Amino acid sequence: MTQKSDTGLPGRLKNWVVGNPDLAFAILLAVCVYGYFALTNDLFFTHRTSYAIMERFAVLGLVGLALTLCIIAGEIDLSIGSNAALAAVIVVRFTDSLGAPTAALIAIAISSVIGLIQGYFVAYLRIRAIVLTVGTLMLLRGVALFAAEEKTVMLTDFTVPDFISTKMLVYFSPASLLVIGVFVLIALFMNYTRYGREIYAIGGARKEALASGIDLKRPMMIVFTISGFCAGLGGVIIGLRSGTAQALGLQYLLLAGTVAAFIGGVSILGGRGGVIGAAIGTLTVNFLNTGLVFNVTPSFMVQLYLGILLMVVIMFQTGSRVFQSQQRRKQILSDVDRRRESLKVRNPQPVSVPP
Amino acid sequence: MSMNAATNDPEIRSTLFNRMLDRYSPLVVILVALFAVVFVYGMVTAPNFLTVFNFKTIIRDAALVGIMGIGLTFVTLSGNFFLLSMKETAALSIIAFAIAMSNGYGFELAFLFTMCVAVIAGMLQGALIGLGGNPIVVTLGAAGLFFGIASWWSDNLVVSFRRPHGAEWLGSGSFLGLPNITIAFILIAITAEIVLRYTSFGRQVYLIGANRAAGRATGHENFSMAIKTCTIASVCSAFVAIAFSAQVSSAHVNYFSSEFGSSGDMTILVIATVMVAGNSIMGGYGSTLRTSLGAIFISTVDNMMVLHGFNSGPRVLAVGLMIVFSIIVFALVRRGSRVQE
Repeated sequence: MTQKSDTGLPGRLKNWVVGNPDLAFAILLAVCVYGYFALTNDLFFTHRTSYAIMERFAVLGLVGLALTLCIIAGEIDLSIGSNAALAAVIVVRFTDSLGAPTAALIAIAISSVIGLIQGYFVAYLRIRAIVLTVGTLMLLRGVALFAAEEKTVMLTDFTVPDFISTKMLVYFSPASLLVIGVFVLIALFMNYTRYGREIYAIGGARKEALASGIDLKRPMMIVFTISGFCAGLGGVIIGLRSGTAQALGLQYLLLAGTVAAFIGGVSILGGRGGVIGAAIGTLTVNFLNTGLVFNVTPSFMVQLYLGILLMVVIMFQTGSRVFQSQQRRKQILSDVDRRRESLKVRNPQPVSVPP
Repeated sequence: MSMNAATNDPEIRSTLFNRMLDRYSPLVVILVALFAVVFVYGMVTAPNFLTVFNFKTIIRDAALVGIMGIGLTFVTLSGNFFLLSMKETAALSIIAFAIAMSNGYGFELAFLFTMCVAVIAGMLQGALIGLGGNPIVVTLGAAGLFFGIASWWSDNLVVSFRRPHGAEWLGSGSFLGLPNITIAFILIAITAEIVLRYTSFGRQVYLIGANRAAGRATGHENFSMAIKTCTIASVCSAFVAIAFSAQVSSAHVNYFSSEFGSSGDMTILVIATVMVAGNSIMGGYGSTLRTSLGAIFISTVDNMMVLHGFNSGPRVLAVGLMIVFSIIVFALVRRGSRVQE
């Protein structure tokens, strides 16, 4: 890709864009969405709004990150919303009796173990995660209903919710700082450890990865444990921040998280994308969500715009793939033609004899 | 034949058991036996379970999910995974139908109009999938789009139309003691099975699902197949939407997200129906008959729990457990076969 040794800034930028078209498109989309709302609504470009966006980022970012990792590994975790709802129910139910830190630890541990078990089964049974997680989606929903006794559970003491949304450093709260920490850790893990690279390997070229001796169980279990951990942490943050939890809630997280992951440039074929993309994708979704709220859009319309956004990204990805394969086909055809020409010149066709 | 496994069992049981032991791993056999025991125990102890009336109830409950599942089976068999937009297509259709009905166009016109909407929705998704978009992502996006359009169209309100209307026969009528929706389910199931087995279109679905490269080599591109199968799935969900709307004489976009069955989410229930009966997600293996039986199976489990007097929590738990269980068993049975990867 980067044989051209352009030195100036525009040249290097161009090379980077050619090398990472998906990430470049994600940044472009984020800037467009932010710019649109910043220009049309004068309340949008303020410190308060940025704080609100970061608060949303705390939860959606985690889900977007989890789904990004799953899709990098070539799988998808549909049960993430149910897992988060279960964690929210558990943490809200036990905070009053055990204290918030213990309850949060229990909830996150349970979610992570659920993820671990899912990953083990996906690798052991060699099935598509989407098949298994459709089942666990319902199963976990049932568990959450069971844990909540089919009611909306509530906190009685609101000191914890107040602490979680304390404003720090203008834009942040303890929750969003924690989530940013998780992002940094997982980015380091994915890029600089062997286990992280294995996840890319089983997503991008699973057969080759298995043939070269990677045990499918390990990366799969790691991915799904991280996914369960993120879902659990997200559920805990939502549950403690709002002080209530519903067993059937949080299902919207799947759509929003998937949109975020795809805007961030993961490829459904696996092996592509990264943590930075997940962050940018989530921010784009949050810009859209927050901006629509500021423009007094009814909440049911948000799904429409999310759908449109996802469609735009799909069109771009499909279009760029079709374009690439056409280019490759053209290249091959012209290669074949050139070789045939040279063959014709070397040994000319014998004159055909009429029968 | 030999007497090693279960000596004091009747001969027929023993041979079946031995044959299963020969073919499958002991783990699978133990799981299936365990399941059979629990299932039979639940059936026998549930009051009023083994009555004709209850059997009819089970099939009627299975009908709506079953019809949608049959539509989705075409998509899955052709190797295009799932449509995650089943519920949203149904929501769009139910709004289209109710608005047409409340404006007094009569049943036939409203039906045609709804089907047109569904066909357009299906073709749009099918074309994107056929061009190489991933089905899961395309339909997730389409789901948001359809749901938004339906909410915007109905202003997020309940659209109702007055009785008597021309659609009542479909919603609450019955024929020879069977509700019309049950008859529709049975007819659709038989038609779908015949189409898949005996028509060239049906064989093409299997071919493209089993081996896409071979399909392309013999001139059957996935592009047109994706459009056709997605349209079938869309039309099936539109039919379910119409039947449901005819039953309650009204429509709201959330009918299929909240008020449906024990799970509360139609799409997931439909996908679970397709998966629970052992259709291969990679395509090319399975049948609509399996899907119909899957729908009946889920509805039986739910019915049993209701008769035992359980709340929604344990019911969802049991249905989810059954789905996970059957997915695991089918995966174990097929370990190492080509159907799997």
